[in-house]
Amino acid sequence: MEDLVKYLGNPRNQDAVLELLVVHARLALVPLLLGLLAALPIGWAAQRYRRLRAMVLGASNVMYTVPSLALFVILPGLLGTKILDELNVVVALAIYTAALLVRPVVDALDALPGHVLAASTAMGYRPLRRALTVELPLAVPVLAAGVRVASVSNISLVSVGALIGVGGLGQLFTEGFQNSYNPPIVVGIALTLALALVVDLLLVGTLRLLTPWQAGRPTARSAA
Amino acid sequence: MIEFRAVTKRFPDGTVAVDALDLVADSGKITVLVGPSGCGKTTSLRMINRMIEPSDGTILIDDLDIRSANPAVLRRGIGYVIQQAGLFPHRTVLDNVATVPMLTGWGRRRARARAAELLELVGLPTAMGRRYPAQLSGGQQQRVGVARALAADPPVLLMDEPFSAVDPVVREGLQDELLRLQSELGKTVVFVTHDIDEAIKLGDRVAVLREGGRLAQFAPPAELLARPADDFVASFVGRDRGYRALSFVGADGLTVHPLRTVAVGDAVPAVDEWSLAVDPAGRPRGWLPPGSAADQLTEDVLVPGGSLYTQGGPLRGALDAALSSPAGRGAVVDADGKLAGGVDAAEVLALLSAQRDGS
Repeated sequence: MEDLVKYLGNPRNQDAVLELLVVHARLALVPLLLGLLAALPIGWAAQRYRRLRAMVLGASNVMYTVPSLALFVILPGLLGTKILDELNVVVALAIYTAALLVRPVVDALDALPGHVLAASTAMGYRPLRRALTVELPLAVPVLAAGVRVASVSNISLVSVGALIGVGGLGQLFTEGFQNSYNPPIVVGIALTLALALVVDLLLVGTLRLLTPWQAGRPTARSAA
Repeated sequence: MIEFRAVTKRFPDGTVAVDALDLVADSGKITVLVGPSGCGKTTSLRMINRMIEPSDGTILIDDLDIRSANPAVLRRGIGYVIQQAGLFPHRTVLDNVATVPMLTGWGRRRARARAAELLELVGLPTAMGRRYPAQLSGGQQQRVGVARALAADPPVLLMDEPFSAVDPVVREGLQDELLRLQSELGKTVVFVTHDIDEAIKLGDRVAVLREGGRLAQFAPPAELLARPADDFVASFVGRDRGYRALSFVGADGLTVHPLRTVAVGDAVPAVDEWSLAVDPAGRPRGWLPPGSAADQLTEDVLVPGGSLYTQGGPLRGALDAALSSPAGRGAVVDADGKLAGGVDAAEVLALLSAQRDGS
């Protein structure tokens, strides 16, 4: 405890930790957005075309089982990036996010009420406009549950990046471990949890904003 | 006018949903497609706006082959009311109604103004426009569905079992509302239902379809009841069709007798016949049995009355009022619900046979 106060009392440490927190948030949230943007069209196509469905869902399961560390190490070779490039982590986590979110997208679209879709066709919607203005907004509650899981998953996975030198708060773990010095580890864990909590609250808030029509109904709960 | 010319729909699994259907739905009239499940009535309806494409044959709207139009554009010119309303849960009632005007590029302000007019037209307060569909009752949602279908003022309105998911009392209100709207708007309506009573009530002409999508009979409702084409139609039209046919017989020449009345709240001496109690506005409240007396007549001693026959209505109402009255004589009211007199069942039947002999 004394160590912890001393560690945090040092302005240099404060700055370093704060910077790592910002990096961590960026490394977790940018891929979350990219993964979601990728998962939407993939899931939409998989839900629409029966043959694609099994393939896409199978592939997304397999992708998610690839160990993150392996992906971090392989990607520089595939992308032509330097091993210390942030991009490696961003791309890897975007892939995980997409893999994690494809199924919720498909499930959410499956669950759309048939009479509403039939009505939209009968009103004269064309497919793209219907997807963007009817299907997507209605899928948000189910999708949001998936996004919440993915956000937590990303925030925890970023730390693994510390092993290849890009890991946000994860670097506090490697630092503490190498020096047999606990305070950075404690601070790292606390801030990771706090970040996950704040992001989750923000996501719930966003969901509320996006779905005023759901007010008063039970909200979709995260499956985590 | 919507015309089916030898329209057939075969699904990939080989089932024939509609078999060489020839049908003309007249402009400005309500044409009802009715039949048991599997008779192809919904398939037929959905072929009109190309949600389903026919395997064979041609459908024309005002002599124009529907295949010549882009499906999305065609649909924007055809109102569609679906079972359970199919409202967009994520849009306010007002924006739901504004859907087609928005799609056709009216601009938000004008589309919403039009939507507000339509809410009024279907009998909903404009303030309800700010709510979301989930906050409305089933009947209200269905009204919104009708308003949405009418928003762009399409000449054609397709209705697919629109009232089947609401309770009978609400359904009857919605049916009356539709008839009132239709008398104002004069749309070409094609209405699908499995309920023969609904078909008979709403249809200017009724097409009875049988399994396999074949047309069994296409006729005005009175003719369907009076002269069913075959056993299938007769059994589908169902029991009591002789009685129900009275819905289409006028009551000209029916004698309305004066009734002995008492007023609620008055002192009433005992008499040996039934008396009809009326409220200060002259509306029937119930029957007072023979031999009853009261210092101050209250409603709880009254026997509930039968149905009331509104003057000018068809004979069915008159006969029902007489048959359902505890006094054996039915109460007749005017358009304001004020008592006009009584009718006897025997006289209704006598009038009926007189009309039959005369015609």
